Amino acid sequence: MEAKYDFERKYRKQILQCSRCGYCQAVCPIFGITHRPSFNARGKMLLLKEVMDGKIDLNEELIDTLFQCTTCAACKENCPSGVNVPEIIKQARKDMVNIGSCHPAFTGMNEVLQKNTNIYAEDEPEDFGRERNKKADYVYFVGCVGLYREDEATEATLDLLDRLDVDYTLVDEACCSGVLEDVGHSINTDLADKNIETILATGAHTVITGCPYCYRTFKNKDAYAPLREKGIQLVHMAQFLKDLDISVTTDLKVTYHDPCDLGRHCGIYEEPRQTIRKIAPNFVEMAHHHADSLCCGSGGGVRGAFPKNSLKMARHRLDEALDVQADVLLTECNSCVHNLANAKLRKDKIRIMNTTQFINELMEEAE
Amino acid sequence: MDIGGYNMPEDLYYEPNHWWVKQDGDLLVMGMDDFAQKLAGEIVYVQLPDDGKKITAGKKLAKVESGKWLGKVIAPVNGVIDSVNEELEENPGLINEDCYGKGWMYKIKPDDAGDLSKLITGAEALTKWINEEIEKYADTE
Repeated sequence: MEAKYDFERKYRKQILQCSRCGYCQAVCPIFGITHRPSFNARGKMLLLKEVMDGKIDLNEELIDTLFQCTTCAACKENCPSGVNVPEIIKQARKDMVNIGSCHPAFTGMNEVLQKNTNIYAEDEPEDFGRERNKKADYVYFVGCVGLYREDEATEATLDLLDRLDVDYTLVDEACCSGVLEDVGHSINTDLADKNIETILATGAHTVITGCPYCYRTFKNKDAYAPLREKGIQLVHMAQFLKDLDISVTTDLKVTYHDPCDLGRHCGIYEEPRQTIRKIAPNFVEMAHHHADSLCCGSGGGVRGAFPKNSLKMARHRLDEALDVQADVLLTECNSCVHNLANAKLRKDKIRIMNTTQFINELMEEAE
Repeated sequence: MDIGGYNMPEDLYYEPNHWWVKQDGDLLVMGMDDFAQKLAGEIVYVQLPDDGKKITAGKKLAKVESGKWLGKVIAPVNGVIDSVNEELEENPGLINEDCYGKGWMYKIKPDDAGDLSKLITGAEALTKWINEEIEKYADTE
């Protein structure tokens, strides 16, 4: 029988490979806070098998299940059968959208990016008091969350670049729009073309971004191939920082949260730790770290579509940082900073920030 | 009083970004008005600044977020934060349930309580303002 949906055409074998062992259940952040088997990777694979078997069909009733996944890839990392769950989920979401069943938050996001250059439909881009679109060696690409939600983190990052005498420029950036691929839609090539044009116009040899998602999108998506073909180097701030001579140190107890998009999705685990260990000898790992790290709950569009559960996941992660009695929780992603900071209670004395923010603060204090 | 379906008590003072204020002895109490909470939808996060934080009229003092919107809480007067509604940490939805009561947000020690007179108040001014706001946000779901 001919497959009805693309997820089956592309991933039938993988879905059947799921042995229902439940290893994913132990690491799924959504299952961790809801304890609902259908929200776990195994549950989702079982539902898709039912669809392939013709027992149920894709429909509105599956929105809460299939769209409630942060695509953190902890399941994939722990799957003994090698099932690439995040990619299967993303394709199933596209099939859902094709039949007109999409979570309204993601329909809205797609519409917003047809009319605006950022996911929040904000009118006024922040310039942080810096000139944009000038000739420079580096472009610093902020990303939507850093521009419109974590502006203090971004300001500190730019201050750090200034302190380090980096020849950089900001640009009139548009959303990289990679997130659309995760929530059932497709990357917006108009926005991608705009970004490519503005980046190339600066003459920069390297794009640095503090956003792991933008980094992934630039590195992997076809829409950004022209940047790569022109030989533009694409680096995440964590990679850029590790080679710099940063002489400040702190006695504070510091821990590090691996953003899923930087860690499991890009394999960048050690670079941030190299930098942090230099400035904070009193570095401690949380119970889950590196490829075993817990998701903060904001990925895959979940922060926008299921904010309550997203914040519960962030709280779950934050508890691990509190358990090791860290004074500071560092990460390398504005979305993680945003969600973890939102989950922090007033009684929690821990500070949550990007590594750049922390280094900038230490340098400021040392001056 | 009801203005276009929004509950806007006329004995309160309103900052133009939809933060209500009322006097409580030497302090001022503030929160989000009914117009804003309806427009924002379910509130999922309220930033609760530390007691003693200095605030400046017209400037951001905190952030508040619903699933579809993140807003800046604008200080209605100059002063310092005296205390905050800690119930909102665990249950920010109180703003939706009871924005003028259990959903209050911050208590402020004002530099000059006379600054209240600069805010919107009274039935006539309130009606004119809210009707303009309804028109302004007519296309917003």
